[in-house]
Amino acid sequence: MILVIAEARDGRLNRATWETLAAVQPLGDPITIVLPGAAPLAALGQELAEAAVAEVVLLESPALELYTPDGYTAALTPIIEELSPSLVALPHTYQTRDLAPKIAARMDRALVTDVTAVKPGAAAQEGPIFVRPMFQGKLTADVVMQGPAPHFVTFQVGAFRAEQAARGASPAPSRVIGPTGERGAIRQQPEAPFREAKQAVDLTQAERIVAVGRGIKEQAHIAMAQQLADALGAEIAASRPICDAGWLPMDRQVGSSGQTVSPKLYVALGISGAIQHLVGMKGSQVVVAINKDPDAPIFEVADFGIVGDLFDIVPALTNALKS
Amino acid sequence: MQPLILWLLVLAFAGAFVVQVATRVRLILAAPNTIAVDRLGFRVARFLADVVAQRRTIGERPAAGFAHALVFWGFVAFGGYTVIEFLAGLGIADFTHTRAFGFYRLVLTPFAVGVLAGIVYLLVRRVVLRPAGLGDHVSLESVVIGLFIATLMVTFLLGWRLDEASLAGRVNWWLHSVVVLAFLALIPASKHFHLVLSPIAVFLKSPELGRLPNLDFEKEQVGLETVKDLGSKIVLDAFTCVECGRCQVNCPAWGAGKELNPKTIILQTESALLAGERDRKLGEIYSEKVLWQCTTCGACENQCPVGIEHLPLLIGARRGLVSNGDAPGYLGGMYNNLERRSNIWGLAYDQRQKFVTASGLETFDPARHDVLVWLGCAGAFDADFQKSLRSLFGVLRAGGVRFGVLEKERCTGDPAKRTGNEYMFQELANANIETLKTSAPKKIVTSCPHCVKTIGADYSRFGYSVEIVHSSVFVEELTRGQTGAAGQEAVTFHDPCYLGRYGGRVDEPRELLMRFGAAIKEPVRNRENPYCCGAGGGLLFADKEEEPGARISDVRFKQLQETGAPTVVTACPFCSIMLKGAQASARSDVQFVDLMTYVGERLPSPPRAAAD
Repeated sequence: MILVIAEARDGRLNRATWETLAAVQPLGDPITIVLPGAAPLAALGQELAEAAVAEVVLLESPALELYTPDGYTAALTPIIEELSPSLVALPHTYQTRDLAPKIAARMDRALVTDVTAVKPGAAAQEGPIFVRPMFQGKLTADVVMQGPAPHFVTFQVGAFRAEQAARGASPAPSRVIGPTGERGAIRQQPEAPFREAKQAVDLTQAERIVAVGRGIKEQAHIAMAQQLADALGAEIAASRPICDAGWLPMDRQVGSSGQTVSPKLYVALGISGAIQHLVGMKGSQVVVAINKDPDAPIFEVADFGIVGDLFDIVPALTNALKS
Repeated sequence: MQPLILWLLVLAFAGAFVVQVATRVRLILAAPNTIAVDRLGFRVARFLADVVAQRRTIGERPAAGFAHALVFWGFVAFGGYTVIEFLAGLGIADFTHTRAFGFYRLVLTPFAVGVLAGIVYLLVRRVVLRPAGLGDHVSLESVVIGLFIATLMVTFLLGWRLDEASLAGRVNWWLHSVVVLAFLALIPASKHFHLVLSPIAVFLKSPELGRLPNLDFEKEQVGLETVKDLGSKIVLDAFTCVECGRCQVNCPAWGAGKELNPKTIILQTESALLAGERDRKLGEIYSEKVLWQCTTCGACENQCPVGIEHLPLLIGARRGLVSNGDAPGYLGGMYNNLERRSNIWGLAYDQRQKFVTASGLETFDPARHDVLVWLGCAGAFDADFQKSLRSLFGVLRAGGVRFGVLEKERCTGDPAKRTGNEYMFQELANANIETLKTSAPKKIVTSCPHCVKTIGADYSRFGYSVEIVHSSVFVEELTRGQTGAAGQEAVTFHDPCYLGRYGGRVDEPRELLMRFGAAIKEPVRNRENPYCCGAGGGLLFADKEEEPGARISDVRFKQLQETGAPTVVTACPFCSIMLKGAQASARSDVQFVDLMTYVGERLPSPPRAAAD
C-alpha cells in the first residue's frame, strides 16, 4: 500500500499533491491519501476522493491548522505506523523539505527526495528506481530503496503532470479521524507564510507566458499580444523598456531586475534578448521567439524561432489558435 | 606689557589648538593601523603634483582651484613671516629689523595680493554663486575663516603704510596677531584642519585607486561593522575632509538623485568618531540603503583633492553587512550564481564551451600562443557581447597574433569583491589563480575592464602577478601604422570607469577610433573622470523599485545622446548592457558598437569572421 500525504493551505489543495498521485499511481499498489489539517476538511476530502485511490483519510486536529514540524510529525507518525504502507509519497514542497526528513529520521527509514522520474526496477523484489538530480542538476542518480518499509519519497514539483493523475469511476471512501498521538508541546510558533513574489502579478507560477519587447513599437499593439496570450491561456509579460515606458505595469517585467520565470511555454515577441532578460526566462521549458532581426540574441535560447514581422505573424497565430 | 599679553594669548590659543588636535590624534592612533607606505617615488611625485602644484584642486575647478592655490601658496610663503613676528612679539628674538626680513616682506607682498584676490573670489563664490557641492546653506564658519584670511592680508599690506610704532601701527599689528591665533584655535574642529592633515593624507593615500586589502579569515576579519573597526587612514580621512563636495558632484548615484553622497559619508564618520560612538553600527550611521547605492566607479576617491579614500570605507562597510547576512536580496541570486556556476548569470558551463568551439578557439598553450584571451562572464555567456569578442578574435588573427583561451574560467570575483562578499571573491580568485598558474600565460588580453582591474591589481595581493591589458590597449599597439576607411564618422566614446579612471587608459581607445575614421564627439564627463553607466559594484543586478531617483544608466545615456553623435562606442560589456538598456527605454535610434567591432569592421583587409 502506498500512502500519499496531501498538502493544503488556506482551504486549497497544493496542486503538487495531484502530481504526486500521478507519480505513484503507475506503481499499481492501492493508494491511501492522508490529508492533515484543521476541521472541516470535508470539502477538500471530496476533491481528493475523485482520484483513483483506495481511501482518503482526513486527519483533523486544531493543532494542524498551521504547519509546524512538531505538530505534523506528532500527528502523522502514528498514522504511518498504523497503516504500515510500503511507500510514503509527498510532493517536494518547502513544507515537505522540512517535514519528510524529520518523520523518516524519527522512524529510521530511507528517504529519497526531489525525485523527477520513476522507472521499473531491474528485479521485481527490488522495487522501482527513483531518479533524482545531483550537484545542482549536473548529474542524475538512479536510486533503489533499501532497508525495511516504509520508504519515503518526495517528488519534484512540476516533474509530473497533475492532470495525468487518474480519476476514479466513483468517489473513493473517506473517513475522518481525530487528533492522534500524544499531544506533545509544539515548540514552533508559525508566522504568516512568506511570499516570495512581492509583485501583485506572480509570473513565477505562470505555465505560459507571452512576453513583449521593444519590437512591439507602440502601446496600442500590446492589445495584439494580449489577444495571443488570451488564446494561449497565457500571462502577458514584458522586457524592461516596455515596463519603463509604462505600457505594462512593472510587476509584469521579466529579467534580472524583474521576475525570474520558468513557464512551460515562453513566447517572446520582438524581444532582442539582452542578457538581463535572458537570465530571467532561461528556465522556460520551450521558448518561441518572433523577431525580425535574425542576429537577435534571443534566437540563441529559442527552441523555435520565427524571423519575420510580428505584426503579420501574431494575428495569424492568434486566429489559428482560436479555430 | 605687550609681550606678556601676547604670551598669555599664545598659551591660550595654542593650548586650545593642541587640545583639539590631541583628541583627533588619539582617535587616529587608537584605530587599527591600515597605513602602509609603498612606492615612495610615486608618492613623492603625487605629493608634488597634488599638494605643491594643487593639481586636483585646480584640475576640476580651474577658477576656484587657482584662487585656492593662491591662498595655499601664500600661506606657505607666510609661514616664516608669522614665526618671526611672533618671536619678536614674545620678546624671544627680534629679526624684524634685519635686511633679510625686509627682503622677505617685499617678496611676500605679491603673495599677499594673490591671497587677498583668491580669498575674495572664494568668498563671493561661497556666499553669492553657491555651487551645489558646498551644501544647502552657507557655512558661517567658512565665511569667518575667509574674512580672517582677508584681514591677515589687509593688515600685512597696511604694514607698509603705517608706522610700526604709531598707535595705528600697533593696532594693526595686534589685529594681525590675534587673528592668526584665533585662526589657529579654529583649525582643528573645522574643515580647515585640512591645512595640517591633507598633505599627510595625500602622501598616505594608496597609489592604486580603490585598493582593498584582502580580509584575513584566519584572523577572523569580517570587514567594517562598527566605528571602532575603522582603520587609521579612514579616521585620518574623516578629519581631513575639506567639504569641497568634489566627491558629491562627481558621484553618479548622487547625480541621479539617489541618497548616497560620499561627502556626507565622510562627515558622518567624523561626527561618530568625535561623539565616541565606537560601538555604533556603520549601517546605522550611513543607512544600509546608501551603502548599496555605490557603483564603485571611484570618482569620489579619484577627484578628492585632500587624499581621502572612500572605497575602502564604503566597501569595507559592505563587507561588514555581508558578513552578517545583510546583503540586499538581488545580490543573493547573483552570489548563488557565482557559487553554483562560477558566473554571474547562473548559466550552464556548456554555453561557454559552445562559444569557444563555434569561434574556433584553441586552448591556451604557452609554447604555441603569444597571449591568453580572457573571455570573462560577459564574453563567455552574453550572446550580444560575443559579437564583440568575435571581432577581437578577427582583429588578432588579422594581426598574426597567436592566442588561446582557458579551458575553464570562473568569474574573476569582481562583483563579489566590490559588493563586500570577500569570502566568495577569495574562493574565485584562488581557483582562477591556480588555473592561470598552470597555464602560465605571460600576457593576458581581455575586453572586460573589470577583469583587468581584478586580475591585474587584486590578484597581486595573492602573490600572483601577470601582465593583463584591455583589448583596446593591445589592439592599438597591434594596428599601429594601419589606417581604416577614410571619412569622418561622428561617434561618441563612453570611457568605462575601470578602463579610464582605474586603468588610466584614455588615449588608446581614442587613438584607435581616430585611426579607423572616427571623429570623436566627447561627452561631458569623459577620459579619467567618466560618468558611470551604473553597473559597477553589483548594481547591474539591482531592482529599479528599490532605487530612488533616476537610473544612473539613463542619466549617462542622455549625456551621450547630447553629443549628437549617432553612434556610441563602448569598451566594456557592462557599460554596453546598461547603456543599451537605457537606449531601449528611451526608444532612441542611437547605435551602439563595441570598440573591437568598430575596429574589426574597418580593418583594411576585413578579417574573416570565425566559422559559426
